[in-house]
Amino acid sequence: MKEALRRRLDKPIADDGDEFRFCTTCAFSSACLSSGYDKNHLRDLHVLVEHVGPFHEGEHIFREGDPFNVIAAVRAGTVKTYVTDSEGREQVQGFFLPGEVIGLSAISQAKYPCNAIALESVQLCRFSFPNMAALASRMPGLQQRLFALLSEDINKASLLAGNFTADERMAAFLVSLSRRYAARGFSPNRFMVAMTRTDIANYLRLASETVSRVFRRFQDEGLLSVERRDIELLQRDKLEVLARNVLRE
Amino acid sequence: MTTSYTFDADLVRKYDKSGPRYTSYPSAAQFGPAFDAGMLREYIKRSNADPIPRRLSLYLHVPYCFSPCFYCGCNRIITRDITKGRRYVERLVREIELVGGLFDRDREVIQLHMGGGTPNFLRPPELRELIESVQHHFHLSSARDRDYSIELDPRFVESGDPAAYASLGFNRASLGVQDFDPDVQRAVNRIQSVEQTLAVIDECRNHGFRSINIDLIYGLPKQTREGFGRTLDTVLAARPDRLAVYGYAHLPEIFKPQRQIDANALPSPEAKLALLQLAIEKLSAAGYEYIGMDHFALPSDPLARAQADGTLQRNFMGYTTHANCDLVGLGVSAISHIGDSFSQNARDLPTWEFALDNSRLPVWRGRHLDCDDIVRADVIQQLMCLGRVDIGGIERRYNLEFAAYFHEEMQRLAELGGDGLVTVTDHSICATSRGRLLLRIIAMCFDRYLQESLSSAAPRYSRAI
Repeated sequence: MKEALRRRLDKPIADDGDEFRFCTTCAFSSACLSSGYDKNHLRDLHVLVEHVGPFHEGEHIFREGDPFNVIAAVRAGTVKTYVTDSEGREQVQGFFLPGEVIGLSAISQAKYPCNAIALESVQLCRFSFPNMAALASRMPGLQQRLFALLSEDINKASLLAGNFTADERMAAFLVSLSRRYAARGFSPNRFMVAMTRTDIANYLRLASETVSRVFRRFQDEGLLSVERRDIELLQRDKLEVLARNVLRE
Repeated sequence: MTTSYTFDADLVRKYDKSGPRYTSYPSAAQFGPAFDAGMLREYIKRSNADPIPRRLSLYLHVPYCFSPCFYCGCNRIITRDITKGRRYVERLVREIELVGGLFDRDREVIQLHMGGGTPNFLRPPELRELIESVQHHFHLSSARDRDYSIELDPRFVESGDPAAYASLGFNRASLGVQDFDPDVQRAVNRIQSVEQTLAVIDECRNHGFRSINIDLIYGLPKQTREGFGRTLDTVLAARPDRLAVYGYAHLPEIFKPQRQIDANALPSPEAKLALLQLAIEKLSAAGYEYIGMDHFALPSDPLARAQADGTLQRNFMGYTTHANCDLVGLGVSAISHIGDSFSQNARDLPTWEFALDNSRLPVWRGRHLDCDDIVRADVIQQLMCLGRVDIGGIERRYNLEFAAYFHEEMQRLAELGGDGLVTVTDHSICATSRGRLLLRIIAMCFDRYLQESLSSAAPRYSRAI
């Protein structure tokens, strides 16, 4: 009985797939399946699809400059990508949740242009890339899916470049997490943030203290409640309004 | 919720069994040596990384006492050599530097408590050095509701000292009295006059202390209804904001100083019960509210108000109004509670000193809390502080089905329900007015470690009353 309570909140994991079937949350499953390819077909075409991990908290999945040969869908946990500038300062580029794909930004190059690190225990589903690209040229659905993922990735990075207030940035961050969880069938209102406040601050181009101050104010205003790393959105509609400028809606 | 409390001698007699005091769950008996300084650093780092890092509550421990009170079960060192205080402060400042540097600067200290031992073993200049060090290495709150408290042995407070404490920011004092009866004072080796005690209370109040707590003990050798009754009348006339009435637990095998007490002079269990009943009647008549365990407060006191609005908390320093702080214990034997961890400093002075002289955190033992610990700690906290458990709230917060998860516990509760200690519905567990004086008996139903160790015979805990 006591083992039944393994975690405080339902921790999202896309673990219903196996050697023969895609996970339901997989970014590629529908594209492949609608073109009539299941995992067996992919294997026959030498597209290696394999489950790897767990990567432990703080462990790198790839580093900037590593030769690029795979993209990977996150099955469980949160992955952070970042680069370091010439003075050694870290710049967070993005966070990847279960069902999302890492490594896409390497497609145009032979090397990964950033580092990817596990923020908690992370499981991946890895696709060997050259073979997958070859397959995509024969499978319009898959190609479209890849293009869509790529453009999402580019958009995500440019969203925060504008002149936005701290409140707008934070609201956009929370709404984005909420929508991404919801899109994969997880709760849009209750989730855990694996990223540290320093990571969030870095990503949103704010000071850590500001991140906490805004969280506290949102909580005081009844928009959300925070208990350590667990977030509950209580008035998502108000956050959506605040986020509108950043998300360009 | 019922805030009334009823003394039922038969029930109290029946449930007079030993158990933890639940200033923490799991209790310190569950701490282990696998928890080391590196783990404490890691927990602090994680706690800094939360979206809203918790505010801090600091505990500073001073282990020295000038003379031994025979009833004492604390970890303390008896000496008249005040130069030891000087050397202790040097090390404690070192620990404040080491630990303070690990916390992000925007983490406010909303509560600071000095306990012992006898904190006023240290003279005001030494206390000043400590507080200035804390100010330098932590971010002390300037909020109006900040609590800076100090335990005082009135026998060693000199005229002018309370003004100095106030100038350091202390605004609460807790005074040990135990009993004013001269026969009892001789039997426990603590001679303390009413006059010096009242003088300290007056001086604290005159210098802006906003709260005075007084500790009393029932069940001491030579104690009588008449003598303890006079003590209660004297104390209540001084109108302290808070009162703690502790039961004396005679465990001479565990607490060496207690071997000085003549067991034949102890009141019988019946007489001890009568003393408790007397205290409860007098406090109740004087308008004090029962907070929980051994603690009472005036209705206007923040503790009583926090209980009424459901925000009361319990930690190593007892009951508090400051919810959800990370607790930082500094000094020999002090306990910290950071995130999902407990840790305790070395309990003996040489080990604690050696670690600090080598710039290491003096962690001795500790414990990581698993999910089950966290749920149970929440349930026990609600019981000990509010006398009730909100079942739906627990189910929602931890994503479990209460009745299924606590199947055995609910059966144990049903037994207590049969005795009228507690009422259980689908929505709540609620201590009755009779059960409120036996809160820890109700809480014990949810203590996994206690249930697992019930077979071991040795009494490790004091009795419930």
